[in-house]
Amino acid sequence: MPVWQSIYEELKSENFEIISVAQDTGGEEAAGHFYDDANVTYTALIDVNHQISSLYNLVNVPSGVWVDEEGKIMRINEGTYAKTHFDGAWGTDDYVPIVRDWVAKGADSEYVWDRTKVRESIIQRTPEAERAQPAFRLGGYYFTGGNDEKAEQYWTMAQELDPTSWNYLRQDLQYEDGGSAGPEWNKRRAEIESAGGSYYAPLEIDN
Amino acid sequence: MNRKTSIAGIAAAMLISGVLNAQSATVLYNERVVELEQTLPDATDLWVKPEDLTRVNDFVLKPEGACLDALCVPVLQDRDSAMFVTRQGQAWFNVTELADKLQQAYVTDYNDGVWSFGTMPVTRQSFLRGGEAPDFELMGRDGEPVRLSDFRGKKVLLLTWASW
Repeated sequence: MPVWQSIYEELKSENFEIISVAQDTGGEEAAGHFYDDANVTYTALIDVNHQISSLYNLVNVPSGVWVDEEGKIMRINEGTYAKTHFDGAWGTDDYVPIVRDWVAKGADSEYVWDRTKVRESIIQRTPEAERAQPAFRLGGYYFTGGNDEKAEQYWTMAQELDPTSWNYLRQDLQYEDGGSAGPEWNKRRAEIESAGGSYYAPLEIDN
Repeated sequence: MNRKTSIAGIAAAMLISGVLNAQSATVLYNERVVELEQTLPDATDLWVKPEDLTRVNDFVLKPEGACLDALCVPVLQDRDSAMFVTRQGQAWFNVTELADKLQQAYVTDYNDGVWSFGTMPVTRQSFLRGGEAPDFELMGRDGEPVRLSDFRGKKVLLLTWASW
């Protein structure tokens, strides 16, 4: 977050905005202090219902979307990091340079995708996965109201309806033993990776 | 009181309360939580008063049908149908029937009368086919609403993250 703030400082005079959206049922209490600690001045939001992931068909965090001056998507659905963390344990140093290139060159940037590539990069949902969103929303309603039993019921339903969503799984695991990055998460991640899959959509810098 | 009488009694009581005191319901759609004082009791569907329709899903009931911007779904209002009925002079609109027609997903907690609706595919075509960024409105930390469209004319890097 401090890294994104420094990139924002560098680029904000070039008609550029960062909108950062925490996908956090826990709201201000869970996510707010991260913004405050980094003294962010870009647009910092907290999205208790995961509305942005729902609208943009995103299933994991962090994810990045480029939106141009007319509201057209230029890149979407990428595991987005400002830098590598913990000696390369996760993250990438390759993403920020392409953001700089886009801000400088706009549509002429080689990193801007064409319409077909954008369309193909939007995750398609099954009818079941479409129902996962209102199920998750219903779980959040009960969570907010203090009814943990029903929250769990509908969050479980959301995960069953859309097993591809890491957000639904990990938001729920946060409130259980082991936490959002505990044994259950590691097991699921290992299953995907041993099947040749990827936890994040791979970052495609060369295209 | 034998069992038969008691069931009949309960049914009669439900019928009366249904007519006089239509049950309340809660609707979740996008960020909104809409409390409806009265809906028409129904085992499977959500029937609301026409004046509540817009609060629930932005549709407006007009003579030509239920309309959202340029889209109008025809609804006959001079007779009963799956979408619209009149009971004792009160009109009722079937929100779940409209959702089914629009292939809008929803999940219901029938015990509590809470109806949670997903996005409407008709509002999603420009995103799914055209790669246009869906607009959104979220309440900012200062209490002021923030929309993506507020930033038209700028390049926006939209980032999701989580504390968990």
